[in-house]
Parts: sequence; C-alpha cells; structure tokens
Amino acid sequence: MTDEVRRLKFEIFRFNPEDPESEPHIDTFEIDERPYMTLYMALSEIRETQDAGLQFDFACRSAICGSCGMLVNGRPALGCRTLTADLPEIVRLHPLPAFKLIGDLSVDTGTWFREMAERTEAWIHEQQPFDPAATEERMSDDIAAAIYEGDRCIECGCCVASCGVANVSPEFLAGAGLNRVARFMMDPRDSRSDEEWYDVVASSEGVFGCVGMMACADVCPKELPLLEVYAYLRRRTLGTKFVSD
Amino acid sequence: MKTAIDSARKAGRRQLIYELISGGTGLVLALFMWGHVILVGSILTGERGFDWMATMLEDYYIAQPTVAAIFTIFIVHAVLAARKIPAQLEERRRMIDLAKGLKQSGRERVPSRRDNSPFVPHLESMLWIWQVRTGMIILVLGSFHLILIGVDIFTPLFGEYAGIESATTLSRVAAGLWLPYAILLLCVEFHASVGLYRLVVKWGAGILPHRRVLHRIEQVIFWLVLGLGSLTLLVLAGWVQPPLEFMISEVSP
Repeated sequence: MTDEVRRLKFEIFRFNPEDPESEPHIDTFEIDERPYMTLYMALSEIRETQDAGLQFDFACRSAICGSCGMLVNGRPALGCRTLTADLPEIVRLHPLPAFKLIGDLSVDTGTWFREMAERTEAWIHEQQPFDPAATEERMSDDIAAAIYEGDRCIECGCCVASCGVANVSPEFLAGAGLNRVARFMMDPRDSRSDEEWYDVVASSEGVFGCVGMMACADVCPKELPLLEVYAYLRRRTLGTKFVSD
Repeated sequence: MKTAIDSARKAGRRQLIYELISGGTGLVLALFMWGHVILVGSILTGERGFDWMATMLEDYYIAQPTVAAIFTIFIVHAVLAARKIPAQLEERRRMIDLAKGLKQSGRERVPSRRDNSPFVPHLESMLWIWQVRTGMIILVLGSFHLILIGVDIFTPLFGEYAGIESATTLSRVAAGLWLPYAILLLCVEFHASVGLYRLVVKWGAGILPHRRVLHRIEQVIFWLVLGLGSLTLLVLAGWVQPPLEFMISEVSP
C-alpha cells in the first residue's frame, strides 16, 4: 500500500428506461479513495455528495443478499465485496447484462430467478404422505455437504451475466440454474426420477447448452464449484436408462 | 403425462448423442493430429525415412482407410460442433465483447491489489471465441489438405505412383504450400489442445486434477507439438536440413 491517496475516477453507465427523455450514456465521478473502501462505500459517497439520482442496489453489505452484482471493468462482481484497492484508478461500472435493466446499475434479477425456479420446479417433490410420527430418514454426510454447497448460491446473477450463452439465449439455465437442478437431483428426499429431469438437463437450455467458457466459475463471488456441478450433470445423463431407451 | 416425458426423453437422448458425437469426434481428431505430426515428423530423418513410413502405411492399407475415415469424422465434427455457434453476428459480437472484458479485467497494473484479489484475467471465454475462429479456418484449409492428400494417395496424379512421395511433397511445400500449411498447423494445434482441455473439464471436473493443472498440461503439449510440427514444416519447405538424417544413413548399405 502506498501512502498517497488515490483519486478514483468512476465511469458509470446511466440510463432510466422509465424516462422517455433518458438516453444511455456514461457519467464520470471523482472521489478520494479511503482505506478498505468497497464499491458500496464509493457509490454511497457519490450518491450522497454528487448525484442523488444515481440508482444502484444494496441491502446486506456482506455478500449474502446478492443484490449488488454489477459489471466492474467488464467483470461481474458484487459491489459490497469488491475493494477499490484491487481496482485501477479508473473504474468502469455497468449494470449486469442478461437481465432487465431497472435503471443505471440496478437490474431485475428476481424475474429471471423466479422464472428459472418455476421452470425447474426447484422445490422438493415428495410423493409419500407426510407422517408426523415417523423418524426422519438419514442422509449421508457427503450428500448433505454437497447439497449445502449448492445451497450457498446467493442468486446474485454474476454467473448468468458472465455466461456467453445466457447473454444470447435467455432460456439457458446458466450456472445458477444448473446448480439448482443438481442440488435437487442429488437430494434423496426428492422423488423425481432422472427421466423427469431430462427435458431441462439434457437440452440446449440445460447442461448441453453450455459451451465451456468457464467464466461463471471464475466470477462466482461464493466460489461455488460450478464446473464440477456441470460435469456431475453430464455424467449423470450417461448413467441412466436414458441412453438405452 | 407419459407422452410428455417420453418426448422429452427422446429429445434429451438426441441431445446427448449430439454431445457425445461432437466431443468424441473432437477427441479422435485431436489424438489423430498428435500422431499425424509424429508420422510426418519422419521427414526429420530425411527423405528415405519419410518414404519408408509413407510406403509402409500405404502397403499395409493403413493410410487409405484413415484418410477416408478422418475426412468423414472431420465433416461430422464440423457440423455438430458448429451447432453451438450463435447464428446472428449481433450475438457473436456480444459474446466477443463479454469475453474481451473478462480477459482485460485484472490485466491493469494496480500496486494496491491484494494477492487473493478476484480480479485476475479470465482467458477461457476468449479461447472459445478463438476456437470458433480457428475451426472456421481449419474447415477451409483442412478440407483442401485432405482432398489434396486423398488425390495423392488414391491416384497417380502427383508423382510417379498412387501414394505419398517425399519428392512431390517437398516440391509442393517449397513451392508455396508452406504458407497455408503453417496457418493450418497453428490453427489445428491450438484448436485441438484447447478443445481437449475443454472437453476434459466439461466431463471430468471434480474427478480429475484441478483445471489450472489441466490447463498447464494443455499448454505444454501445445508448445511441444507446435514446435515439432514447425520443425517438420521447415524441413519440408527445404529451409532446414533434416536434423536426424544420421539415424538411418548409417544403417543403410
């Protein structure tokens, strides 16, 4: 760390789709860097001191709510988790691509994730009637750990925004969607057979739509093992009746 | 509901078969290319070594069916692997912009950047773009090469007999074929090594070594094969003397 205080220059994408007068453009703001400054702190300072109309999303400030995903110098990242110390003096901020723009840096990830969850029916499918008196069924530690790993996804949308396929075909499930599918396929409490998953998994919307650019795994703020998830799904399509009819 | 699941299964199975064939043909072609470079490398032992190798492969009818099979696999791979390339230029532009951004991000010199910063350049997206580009070039130059070699092996049009002869090969390459061959060599080795790396990660992540290790292995193989191929091409063009000529000249009567 140098003692000199850096003067950071933020080039921020501005556009309000609600306002017919608004044209997409870049606004530039300058602020002094402070120790341990995050993009959340920097953007809050810009909004407080320079432009009260700047739109961006934040809630938890601790990388768990998943609302502050944005394109930072071309790379999807969480604003609250990104230290300005890691960035050059010029910071270019854009909204996440592949999602509907709300305004400036704020995008609607919710609609995409809700649509994905409904399409994959991302909830436990239980056929047996519930018996409150029965003891719980046991689950192995390995499976429990794998499911927990998949559940760490915060749905920030960074994997979707970094995915070349998701950017050109909106129906592609991308990292977050495939991770969700794998999580339920692994779960012994879910009674869906592999065959019921085929239309989502073994299709161009599913894992066979993936071209293997691997950006999702590199940008994931939670460092989920996404490539392992895809390989698991691929291998699983082989090991079933699916192949032999 | 039975019919819905049935048709989904059918569609899924077709997708799986496409995926297996495009990956499988890629694997076969990549492995063939390494063998190919080693076989053509027989020119490093001089013209006699090259002719011995060519005649041997032709006399035992290894070369002829291989040319036909590789041409077929080549076309099948081109058709099936290309199904994932977006059709619209606009879509390709978008993918390229995204890949460029991911590659550039983290490239800048930032003294205050921490060692564990997530801002490190991401290369694989751009490598995919280059795989598409090299694939297009290979489709053109590779088809030309395969047709030329097919004509050479199956007809006596070039040289004295139906088959590959060092004299005609050397004069062809020296006369100017070295340029398309140099481009083809670079494209094929890049396309094959990156494709193999991607294929292995796609199916084997989690049960194989980490992808950083696999990428390093891929890079080493790429440079080794490219080096051997380049040396072979230099000898074929007549710019470099066969460095291993002593190996067979001493044995000969």
